[in-house]
Amino acid sequence: MATIATRAKSILANQQALLLIVLLVMVAFFTSRNHIFFSNAVFGNIISDWAPIVLIAIGETFVIISGGIDLSVGSTVAISGVVAAFAMRSLTTNGTSPTTTLILGVLVSAGVGFLVGAINAFLITKTNVVPFIATLVTMGAGSGLAIVFTGGGPIGGGPDQAIQLSVPKVGPFSYPGLGIVAVVVALGLFLHKARFGRYTYAIGSNEFAARAAGINTKRHLAKIYILSGILAGLSGYYYYLRLGCGAPTSGLGGELQAIAAVVIGGAALSGGEGRISGTVLGALILTTVTSGLIIINVAANWKQVVVAILIAAAVLLQEARTKGSSSKFLANLFTKKK
Amino acid sequence: MSTALYEVKNISKSYGSVDALNDVSLKIHAGEIIGLVGDNGAGKSTLVKVLSGAHQQSNGTIFLEGVERKWESPHDALVAGVETLYQDSGLAPHLSVSANVFLGRELFSKGIFGKLGFLAKKEMDSAAHANLDKVGIAVPQSNRSVSQLSGGQRQAVAIGRAVSWASKVIILDEPTNHLGARQAGEVLAVIKAAKERGLGVIFISHTLPHVLQVTDRIVVLRLGKVVADAPTSTFDAQSLLGTITGLIENKAE
Repeated sequence: MATIATRAKSILANQQALLLIVLLVMVAFFTSRNHIFFSNAVFGNIISDWAPIVLIAIGETFVIISGGIDLSVGSTVAISGVVAAFAMRSLTTNGTSPTTTLILGVLVSAGVGFLVGAINAFLITKTNVVPFIATLVTMGAGSGLAIVFTGGGPIGGGPDQAIQLSVPKVGPFSYPGLGIVAVVVALGLFLHKARFGRYTYAIGSNEFAARAAGINTKRHLAKIYILSGILAGLSGYYYYLRLGCGAPTSGLGGELQAIAAVVIGGAALSGGEGRISGTVLGALILTTVTSGLIIINVAANWKQVVVAILIAAAVLLQEARTKGSSSKFLANLFTKKK
Repeated sequence: MSTALYEVKNISKSYGSVDALNDVSLKIHAGEIIGLVGDNGAGKSTLVKVLSGAHQQSNGTIFLEGVERKWESPHDALVAGVETLYQDSGLAPHLSVSANVFLGRELFSKGIFGKLGFLAKKEMDSAAHANLDKVGIAVPQSNRSVSQLSGGQRQAVAIGRAVSWASKVIILDEPTNHLGARQAGEVLAVIKAAKERGLGVIFISHTLPHVLQVTDRIVVLRLGKVVADAPTSTFDAQSLLGTITGLIENKAE
């Protein structure tokens, strides 16, 4: 009994290994119910769903590790996609080449994201509004403006090449998808190997200690919210490519998916804890559940129930681990003492 | 007497309508340990925050080696060689021992990666170990996270970090809090070693026997004012306690 518990404990202590197991079990389950699930087409679809979610979830990972929260990422996806769509439509009508238009489109999306992030950063670090409220404000303003600007409908009229870009080219990955993988890897290194990441953990772990150690914590937090905004802007651009237009409903509820991915990935909302690899797998699990349930013909609303259970499990594990009581927790799970 | 190493003159600090410090002056010389004592609410923590740059005084001036200084943030004081150990909150528990020792002073890897902000983790791990060792603090592994250490070990790391980085002044706020007798003894030895190195040490403590044991001079605060500033030899436990509580109204020197 003890050995099972010990082995299980070392696996449970490694959130990434556990997530990988959960993911593989899901793939096996969905495949057993419908073999079509195990195909390039489905994997390509899952990755296409995953890419924009993982972008905002990575930004959210930095934010949550620093002890904050960013509720505005979903709205930022919408508004940046819409503004970029307007920009690309007018560039196209003015005869700008598709390539130039698409490149300028990225810059516009990222720029809108930067702006929202900068507003969040200002509210949080200059006016001392708590992150939850500050980003609630920009969340409401962003999604509202996206609908006001568009009248609620999609904005097309950009280059026709956009939608071709989102077709899988390398395995299940499209070229923009590969770009997102590169961004994720780079930011993973930045979080786990560079000073930027270390300060992020330090602030989330003990902001006073970080400041006392001479870190300009406000400036660092400002950078984190701006980073989150830029990533949401890029995510908005990705939706534009997928749909061939800017829709004010893109990214709807994205903030909750991002937070879910981060929490399932093992981060603590109290700050100081979390890993990019966890977030990557968390987002992959979310999108796998979505596609899988559709393919095995389960009503889409069950997805929310499954996600709820995953979040609850992740939080329970977190609780057990941070209290250092995982062994006791597991002893209760794995040993049957009347 | 020669120029003081660190000196504050006529410091006042108010939070809204509350005067936490009122016209406080004190000086410390190189190689000297002063004890800063007072009852709860006497203004010790506020004075520590002003001395370390965490808060800015409402009035008064700060001199380091005779030169007037203005601390805008703890960073300014750290760079100038004034290191502070804050009571109970000096470390980031999720980070490793070495990450804490090097927090704000990270070493970067060589070449292009270093320029991009990538850290030289192994070097910092071994250097942190060596630094703590040098000031007489043994920590099992410097890559363990601080949350896995015992209370005494955490305190040791916090003190070790402050002592190993301080080049002029070190301010220790309740460094022997929550420690057993043996660990407290080790901490006091580290403090004496810092004095031998020529540092000026400001030792804040409620544990009066420790204060009487290691300090050269004692400054007593009461209700935001300095009510005594005299060599430790002029106090005994009874008179020190009396001065702190206000039963004795002696203003020495």
